[in-house]
Formats: sequence, C-alpha cells, structure tokens
Amino acid sequence: MTLSPKTLALAGAAILVVGAAGIAYAQSAGAVSAALSSGEVGEQADGYLGFRSTPSDELRDEVDAINIKRRDVYTKLATQRGVTVRDVAVTVGCETLQKRVAIGRSYLLTDGEWRTKGEDPIVLPAYCGQ
Amino acid sequence: MKQASLLLALAASALLAGCVQIQAPDKPIEINLNVNIKQEVVLTLKKDAEDLVNNNPELFPQ
Repeated sequence: MTLSPKTLALAGAAILVVGAAGIAYAQSAGAVSAALSSGEVGEQADGYLGFRSTPSDELRDEVDAINIKRRDVYTKLATQRGVTVRDVAVTVGCETLQKRVAIGRSYLLTDGEWRTKGEDPIVLPAYCGQ
Repeated sequence: MKQASLLLALAASALLAGCVQIQAPDKPIEINLNVNIKQEVVLTLKKDAEDLVNNNPELFPQ
C-alpha cells in the first residue's frame, strides 16, 4: 500500500487534532487529579467518577465531561458485544476498584457509602467475580 | 394408562430439573442501582474492560 499525499495530509491533520485535544485535556486534568488525591472525587462501582463532597462548579463540569466520554466508549463496546451499557460500565467499575484506587483515595460501592482505601484490597461486589 | 402416567411423571421431573437449572447460574444480583447484574456477563467483559481502561488513560485519571 502506498500513501498518497492526501492520506498523509489527513493523517497529519488527525495527529494535530488529537494533539490539541491532549493539551486541552492536560489543562483540565489537573483539577480532577487533585480532587482524586484529596478524596473529594472517587471511582464508583457503577463505572463512573463521583463526588464524595459537594464540588465546585468547575470541578463538577470537568468530572461530568469525563463521565460523558466514558459513557461514549462504554456504549461503543456494549454495541460491539451485544450487552447493555450498564453491563460494560459495572465491569469497568470492577476493574477500576480492583486496580486503580490508590491508598487514601475515595471509592463508592453498591451500598452507596463512600469509603477510603486502606492497605487491604477493596472488597469487590460479588458480581465482579475473582 | 400406565404409559400415560409414566409420561406425566417424566414431564413433571423434566420441568423440575429445568427450574433448578435456570436458577443456579443465572441468579441475578441486586445492587442498589436497581439493576440486575449477571456475573457471567461481567466475566465475559473483563478483558474488554481492562483494555478499555488501558486504552483511554485520559478518561481514567490517577
């Protein structure tokens, strides 16, 4: 396969767009990362980020934006696999609770109670399996 | 007549066996979001979910 100049130009444009999005993301990610570190924001068993305490409007907007993007990728995978978006979302919830919640950070289980991660692994909901 | 009752007994036991089979693996787990999550579906999707998280780091900030 040979690449035409047009294809190369398109690829270049795509890289620029992705790069720009990356920079925009990097600017907004700071607030969410800080809120994750402080425990104000945490991972939920439903596969989305949530608020342990009432956030600022700015933080709420940023977390909402991430959750909307998450729902988009969940929806794509759900369509590919013929399952519900909720099925995908809770499976991702199992994954994030198991691997991506550092000690001292907040997480929300299905009982609706926020907890702080300690030394021990999070006791996952039964449907997560092992 | 004897055959008929034998058939009936067979049918009844088949029905019972069917009930047990349906209950065992597919028992839905109720969570507070009012959704029934099947462990089987979660297990099937586990690898996909892992890839999804790893491939979209911007959606899973640390």
